[in-house]
Amino acid sequence: MAFLELDDLTKLFGKLAAVEDVSFKVEQGEVLGIVGPNGSGKTTLINLISGYYKPTRGTISFMGKKISGLRPDEIAKLGVVRTFQSNVLYEKTTLVQSMLMSSRLQYKTSDIESFMETKKYKDEHEGVVGNALQTLQLLDLFNETFRPASVLSHGYQRMLGIALALAANPKVLLLDEPTTGMNYEEAQFVVENIKRINEQGITVLLIEHNMKVLLNVATRVVVLSFGNKIADGNPHEMMNKPEVIEAYLGTETV
Amino acid sequence: MNVWLNRFRTFDWRNTWPKVVAAVPVIIFLLIPVFTQGEIVLNMLILSGIWAVAAMGFTLILRTGQFSLGQAAFMAIGGYTSAIISVVLGWPWWFAFLLSGIVSGIVAMLIGSVVLRVGGIYFSIITLSLTEVIRIIAQQWEPVTHGSRGLITTPPPNIDLGPLHINFMANSVPFYYLTLILVAVTGLVFWQIGKTRMGGTFYAMLANQTLAEHEGIHLMKYRVIAFTLAGVFAGFAGAIYANYLTVISPLIFGLWQSIQIMMMSIVGGMSSLVAGPIIGSTLLYVLGIQLARLPIYGIAQLLYGAVVVLVLIFLPKGTGLIDLWPRIWRKIYREVEEYEIPGETRQED
Repeated sequence: MAFLELDDLTKLFGKLAAVEDVSFKVEQGEVLGIVGPNGSGKTTLINLISGYYKPTRGTISFMGKKISGLRPDEIAKLGVVRTFQSNVLYEKTTLVQSMLMSSRLQYKTSDIESFMETKKYKDEHEGVVGNALQTLQLLDLFNETFRPASVLSHGYQRMLGIALALAANPKVLLLDEPTTGMNYEEAQFVVENIKRINEQGITVLLIEHNMKVLLNVATRVVVLSFGNKIADGNPHEMMNKPEVIEAYLGTETV
Repeated sequence: MNVWLNRFRTFDWRNTWPKVVAAVPVIIFLLIPVFTQGEIVLNMLILSGIWAVAAMGFTLILRTGQFSLGQAAFMAIGGYTSAIISVVLGWPWWFAFLLSGIVSGIVAMLIGSVVLRVGGIYFSIITLSLTEVIRIIAQQWEPVTHGSRGLITTPPPNIDLGPLHINFMANSVPFYYLTLILVAVTGLVFWQIGKTRMGGTFYAMLANQTLAEHEGIHLMKYRVIAFTLAGVFAGFAGAIYANYLTVISPLIFGLWQSIQIMMMSIVGGMSSLVAGPIIGSTLLYVLGIQLARLPIYGIAQLLYGAVVVLVLIFLPKGTGLIDLWPRIWRKIYREVEEYEIPGETRQED
């Protein structure tokens, strides 16, 4: 039984197949990169796994349980949490408030217990606040704790997106191009953080179209082109595969 | 670790000011009948209080990112429930009063769990038509609601508590305290919701629905909870309103009332679940009464609208009068500038 398994996944928009018959398995604890040129269906794939879209055909199962067809919040509850390609954040609230708003899944107490402010809830809440601050420190956002998300720079906003996803207690983290709009050095910083997250035992599914960034972090790479999976394997081997090069550059190069 | 938590605690001290600020009006409102039992003053306060409860419900629904124009419908359901049970069926008044909130809450839950599936503008349109539907039912269901003639409600029974003899028909004071209790209970419940985890959940749904859903918030569930709670308290408010006016007719809970509740909530400010609606409803209700005394027909509505527009221009993006407070507070205490005040975004850097 694989950890996260995609089986013949297809998503049609009208007659256009954004993702077509894609199958692969994600093992626990790995960093799986998904690469492909623009429009190859990478984001659609994440939208399918996170429940934002319902697949036209095929199934997704997580730890033996079928998750395709569930709502995004049910999938998040099972431990599959995503980030967004654009900066989707709670803009007006401070970072620590945003983190607490995202930390719902860490609580075991019910809403009633929270409403009554029982001791159990208060203790749990204190722990959650600690976790939120710890996550902010892990992603180097601690100095910004009491500032609203909207005043952060683009790079910090990307990191906050990851922090918010981490607050939801993920087992699998789906990162949708965390390095967009960054130069190589900034991307390197994100990659370091992804490694640290992975060291905590969180499986990472990383979308990226910059191969150079992926090489440093991914243990395995799946290459998509026009909605189809064209290759799957070690990132360094992938770099030299003719079909991958063709997908990226259009013609064969030497 | 402890250092961080302590910093969080010092950050938290700002949250103690509402308690102090809230205690002052509560004491003032408790003591008002001691100083004056004038019907005009009490009438104004009772009706502002009733609208405040409905406006608080509106704000709570607004917190989940939905714009309900059906608050008056739930007031009508509550009012008619209490009137029908106590007049037509002849059951005890307090039992009828209790049922008014429960029935309108159940109706809100049933309607909400269907209607809230469509969000946004469609939800507003459906709740708007709900207000009309309830009005038409009240008008057409002659045998039960007496149509447009309306139902004359039975007054609440006298209460004898030893030396304290409460007669609801003698003056407005008992109704004043009944309204005050309802406002206080609603305010406490909503304040507690806003303060604890559910408030954060609601705020997350308002701030970014997509993100909230992907972080494990079941949107439908919390929308229905907010809609139901708003329905329950609007039902109680409607019951008090109908009994205070001694008559309930289809005209008193119409579209205009729903829109009025919305305006009260917006003028008061949606950043606060309790104080904002209370300030907004008191201000707009008293303003409406005073404007209605002007001799020119229609000028009241015109000026009423002008006030709302002015508030929207000078306090945009859903910040109402209540949001003036953090600005004043910041002028008084300069050192607070280091921190952010919720609902306001710092523009520098």
